[in-house]
Amino acid sequence: MRIQAWLAVVGIAGVAIHPHESRAQATSAKRAEPSIQSIYPFTLERGKRSLITVRGSGLKGVYAAMLPTSGLRARTRGVSTQPPGIKKPVDEVQLQIEVEASLAPGRYPLRLVTTSGVTNALPLLVTDLPVLSEPEGAHDAADTAIPIAEKSAVYAGRLLRRGEADYYRLEARAGEVMTFEVVSGLPQIAAAGSAATVPNFDPALTILEAGASWFDPRRLRRVAFNDEPAFVFGRLTDAHLTHRFERTGVYWLRVEAFAGQGGPDYSYHLKVLAGEHPPEPSPAPTDWQERSFSRSLTPARLTLLAARGGLPDPGLVMERYQAASTGAPQSPRIPLPAMVQGVIEKPGQTHRARFQLESPRDIAIEVETPFRAPPFFNPLVRLVNATGEEIATNLLVGKGACTGALTKSLQAKLIVPLREPGEYTLEVRELTADHAGSNFQYRIQLRPQIPHVGQVRIDADHFNLAPQEAKTIRVSFDREENYREGVAISVENLPPGVSAHTGSDFIEEPDPPEPVGKRERFLPKTEQATVVLSAAQDARLTPEPVRLRLLVRPLTNGRLGPVIAEKEIPLMVVEP
Amino acid sequence: MRMRLLLGLIAASLSAEAGAGEKLRILPERIVLQGARASQQLVALLVSADGSEREVTSETSWQLQQPNLVRWLAPARLGAAASGSTMLTATWRGQKAQVPVTIRLGGEGANPTFSREILRILTKRGCNTSACHGGVKGRGGFKLSASGLYPEEDYEWILQGGGYQVLTPEVKGERIPRVDLANPERSLLLTKPTLTVAHGGGKRLEPDSEDYRTMLAWVRAGAPFGDASRPAPAVMKLTFTPPLVVLPEGGERQLLVTAHFDNGQQEDFTHQVIYSPNDPDIVSVSPDGRIRAQSRGETAIVVRAAGWVGSVIAGVTGPRLPRYPHTPRANFIDQHVFSKLERFQILPSELSSDSEFLRRVCLDLTGALPPPERVREFLSSRDPNKREKLIDALIGSPEFVDYWTWRFADVFRVAIFTNGLSSKWSQSYWEWIRDWVEKDLPYDQVARERIASQGYEPASRHFLPYNQIGPPADVMAEEVRVFLGRRLDCAQCHNHPYENWSQDQFWGMAAFFSRLFRVGAVVFDHPTNMDLSTKDVGGSLELLHPRTKQPVKPVVFDRTPLAVTADGNPRRVLAEWMTRHPYFAEAAVNRIWGYFFGRGIVDPVDDFRSTNPPTHPELLAALAKDFADHGYRLRHLMRTIVRSRTYQLSYRPNETNRRDVWNYSRALARALDAEVLLDAVVDVTGIPETFATAVSEGASVGEAPRGTRAVQLRDPDTFYSRFLELYGRASRGAVPERNAKPNLSQALHILAGSTYVDRLQAPGSRLESLLRAGASDEKIVEEFYLAALARYPEPEERREVLELIAKRGNRQAALGEFVWALLSSREFAENH
Repeated sequence: MRIQAWLAVVGIAGVAIHPHESRAQATSAKRAEPSIQSIYPFTLERGKRSLITVRGSGLKGVYAAMLPTSGLRARTRGVSTQPPGIKKPVDEVQLQIEVEASLAPGRYPLRLVTTSGVTNALPLLVTDLPVLSEPEGAHDAADTAIPIAEKSAVYAGRLLRRGEADYYRLEARAGEVMTFEVVSGLPQIAAAGSAATVPNFDPALTILEAGASWFDPRRLRRVAFNDEPAFVFGRLTDAHLTHRFERTGVYWLRVEAFAGQGGPDYSYHLKVLAGEHPPEPSPAPTDWQERSFSRSLTPARLTLLAARGGLPDPGLVMERYQAASTGAPQSPRIPLPAMVQGVIEKPGQTHRARFQLESPRDIAIEVETPFRAPPFFNPLVRLVNATGEEIATNLLVGKGACTGALTKSLQAKLIVPLREPGEYTLEVRELTADHAGSNFQYRIQLRPQIPHVGQVRIDADHFNLAPQEAKTIRVSFDREENYREGVAISVENLPPGVSAHTGSDFIEEPDPPEPVGKRERFLPKTEQATVVLSAAQDARLTPEPVRLRLLVRPLTNGRLGPVIAEKEIPLMVVEP
Repeated sequence: MRMRLLLGLIAASLSAEAGAGEKLRILPERIVLQGARASQQLVALLVSADGSEREVTSETSWQLQQPNLVRWLAPARLGAAASGSTMLTATWRGQKAQVPVTIRLGGEGANPTFSREILRILTKRGCNTSACHGGVKGRGGFKLSASGLYPEEDYEWILQGGGYQVLTPEVKGERIPRVDLANPERSLLLTKPTLTVAHGGGKRLEPDSEDYRTMLAWVRAGAPFGDASRPAPAVMKLTFTPPLVVLPEGGERQLLVTAHFDNGQQEDFTHQVIYSPNDPDIVSVSPDGRIRAQSRGETAIVVRAAGWVGSVIAGVTGPRLPRYPHTPRANFIDQHVFSKLERFQILPSELSSDSEFLRRVCLDLTGALPPPERVREFLSSRDPNKREKLIDALIGSPEFVDYWTWRFADVFRVAIFTNGLSSKWSQSYWEWIRDWVEKDLPYDQVARERIASQGYEPASRHFLPYNQIGPPADVMAEEVRVFLGRRLDCAQCHNHPYENWSQDQFWGMAAFFSRLFRVGAVVFDHPTNMDLSTKDVGGSLELLHPRTKQPVKPVVFDRTPLAVTADGNPRRVLAEWMTRHPYFAEAAVNRIWGYFFGRGIVDPVDDFRSTNPPTHPELLAALAKDFADHGYRLRHLMRTIVRSRTYQLSYRPNETNRRDVWNYSRALARALDAEVLLDAVVDVTGIPETFATAVSEGASVGEAPRGTRAVQLRDPDTFYSRFLELYGRASRGAVPERNAKPNLSQALHILAGSTYVDRLQAPGSRLESLLRAGASDEKIVEEFYLAALARYPEPEERREVLELIAKRGNRQAALGEFVWALLSSREFAENH
């Protein structure tokens, strides 16, 4: 089975290693949905063996760890409930993880397998730097600071109580440049009233030096501070700071939670690097991005879009053109389709390119900002006709139902029906009048519309089903550019006794939207489908998670197109 | 004339002889009467060698070389009669003084006009004050603009009648004219103020008065507005002679008021205005500008002319000191302050003691008490420059950065609900403040960054109260309050009732903020030459005047033309103008001054208006100039202030300054702000405060790191604190920034609250550590005096405290009670 290569099943100390025996022993109590909430330390060094603690609930019956590569091997060292006697006890699983020296650094999801089923995943970070754990004892003051002996290393720590700040001590030479990064070990949580996520533990980093304050000779003086410069829903809030030390001497680093939280789950790692290093990029999305400013608009996009619509390659060539800046005698004339690109280097600059429309046509305009995205670079795109009249912009406008106030939001894509032949000008500028820079680079694709399936969202992470139990998976997808064909959803690799059905689910009626302008130009039509997974009464229990594959394909002209979205979902059939 | 001369001679014979070196002087020094209705009040002064003045107007005789050129309207008041030039001679007890007189007739019509004579009469008679028809809605169905700010509108209301409405230009009710051109004597404008018909405002005009005759003549002449070919000049400024009125108890002085018009002319307005002393218990003023001292003190006299409001400071002094001693001056601040004190015959207090200065300057510059070892060191030092060195050390300390970041977080309103409902955004805004405080960036740059901030800049977060772009009117009024020290809010709905601000000026300023928009986290100014889908929802980008409903263009309030481009940042242009305007530096130095003295030179510090004049206008101007000359650096300004002897005066009063609260003749005790007080309690007891992000328990509840001081907290809505709420920390949601009035809960908290009680003998506290180290009672008492009050106990205090401790029986309890008593004392809770 493919699952065997995917899953490392290991024995638990003191418990028989046969999975079924362990299950039988552990299922006398009512089944609780197992979940994991934190890992400490969550960063592991290549070629080393490390002991980690996984905290969560419903983990008493853990008997295996599920890792995506054979380069990681886990062995359970024990399970305990901490602290005993409180209302919501937390289970702690001690795992010994061995990382192969050849394993590539990166993020690897860890799940635990228990008698109640498989858990959610939390990432393990593998690094080629030495990883040092916080020594026992308090380190919440300069005189108890943890020494930074190695300047290229990862220091794993935890803020065990509210208001705790961990101090590190290092020596630096005048002019020395170092980069520090604090990464939170806690996943983001859902934002109230929103589909977006917000940080649960937002680390903050401060560099301090000896102060010589008149009031307190031991006071430390802040020389640098980082909290991420932007707070944007869904964006990571880890701290990153590159600093050039002015003086040779002793410095301290202070790591704390932005909002002063703390507890056994508040694990972090502090990465210390010599020299200047950019922040670790956020994990790249693995699914299709239709409307992100950071998606890559390659010349091959037309082919990709056609495939997502179940259509053959249109065979169109998209050439690149440089837009003319403010003050240029004439802006370039471009064909359709075309890629227009440029850099808003000076505040207030407007770039332009012209095209001739011979006959009515529906076009799409897509915007990419490869280096700086909103809210830092906010590309405002307008399409104006020969008389200077604005035909379209990438600002979606609304009008508050109560106050009548205008609300506008910047979009990375818009579709425009052009009915009047003639010359049109594409204008690009930064939304604000004051900001510009060499990294205010944009790429805009101007192209005919290609009906296709846009973003697909599958809301399941893992499944634990008992016999006679059924659960749903919601699959929603966007119909882009007037895609009017069908969409096929299939489930593969179901274990015996588990079946998949098409179904329906109740969808809460949203509040009536505020008066909105030409919404259809900016937002796709979204549909939702429901897949029901059901375990028969005689479904066989699964000792290990089975990897379901949920596949989405366009259905065009009576033919199934290629797979455009795919998700693997661990599933276990467990005792009721 | 002969009679006048005779009376003058008699008066002169009754008065005191001229002192040695006294010279007779006439005011004004040059008289120009422009037009047949012009007049000039005269004043005769005896000026002594030391510059002091004594008015002898009523004892002076006046002679003109060409008497036919003028009319005598009163014993010391000239009126124009014929064009020409002559010399006026004043004689007092044989002394003579001369001034030239020029009379120019012509250029005005035979009949009075509304824009000139009638408006002045309405103003002088109090008809257009805010308490009467100049109120927001007018009175009795009759509306006039306050102080005749809008003559054309007033004229229309009088000639056409009708009810005024605040939010619309539509006329309410039937239009009944207030003048009757067919029967001028029956005009309501005349019958009401003479009480010929009922008038809620009482009798304002006698039927046989000159003003009545002028108004009647005006109606008879067809009630003209003015001469269309010669528009009436507008008042641009009022000046006063003397600019500062100083009177002994029981003294009198004639005030001269000169109006300066936009055509460059000047005119005596002494009899064309209405006088209102802010405190009539100190001075009274007759309708013709004669000021009479009532009791010792200082007050402003508000002077309202048609189209303008001004004010002058008047003070009543005690007996003249036989010999006013010289007080050393440390810098220009002292020159201004001490010179006024001398004029008011107030002696400044002595220089503060070292301990007094040490505690005061530490609290004022850093919000922190000096630790006992530093107090000992400072008090024992014989270095003559130790105060200057201390000032530099404090200004360079991290505590200074903490403290002034907190101060400006108040002023700039750092709080989650004012910064987009996001703690991250309030944090970035707070960090921006901390950064410029730490780097001592020029304050004009700070102002420009805040006013004009765009995009995702930290300062732009303040445009997002409750996660919305604030209304242009609110945003503008706040920027003007913070950076220009003016409160324009009243003018939002109507012309300002007490000021010269009009509703048009308000909305012209607000229009600079009308293009403020938000896209996600980004603040930007909507270009006016781009629709950007606005038409898609039938929206409009225009800011409409709330009353006229007409689109408003951005215009600064002095009408200076500013180049605002359609797609630029209009606030950047405004910010440049604001920071170059004289108001900017004055408002900034006044705010900072207020922190160090407990009151501003204009107080409240953000309420500059002509009816609330500065107590020391020359000092304010000098501070503002020095601030600008030194690159608008706040540290320089603060250093200048605290180095002055004025700042370093003792709080202990002398006989002459016991009642003085205006003139900085001594330090005034000021209650410590909530955060500073809490930090002081923590410093003295040695037990840090715990600041939690919520009262309830929960996974997301956080705490500030151990040892965090109250002034280091970012915003009041992140960290709950019962103590800080009780003692009035600023919510940062309203003006004034903090209002810490004493209340009963504070007293109860002192008696039983955890801040005062639980800390005293907690493990790790200062007291517990001293006891554990075996310190004697005397040592402990001394240590706490130094920690809490920055001084050694007086011998009597020491003796009494030690006796009480000995009598108590329980040493530990007695010492705890002693510390509690120290912390509960006014001396501890105040900066003095």
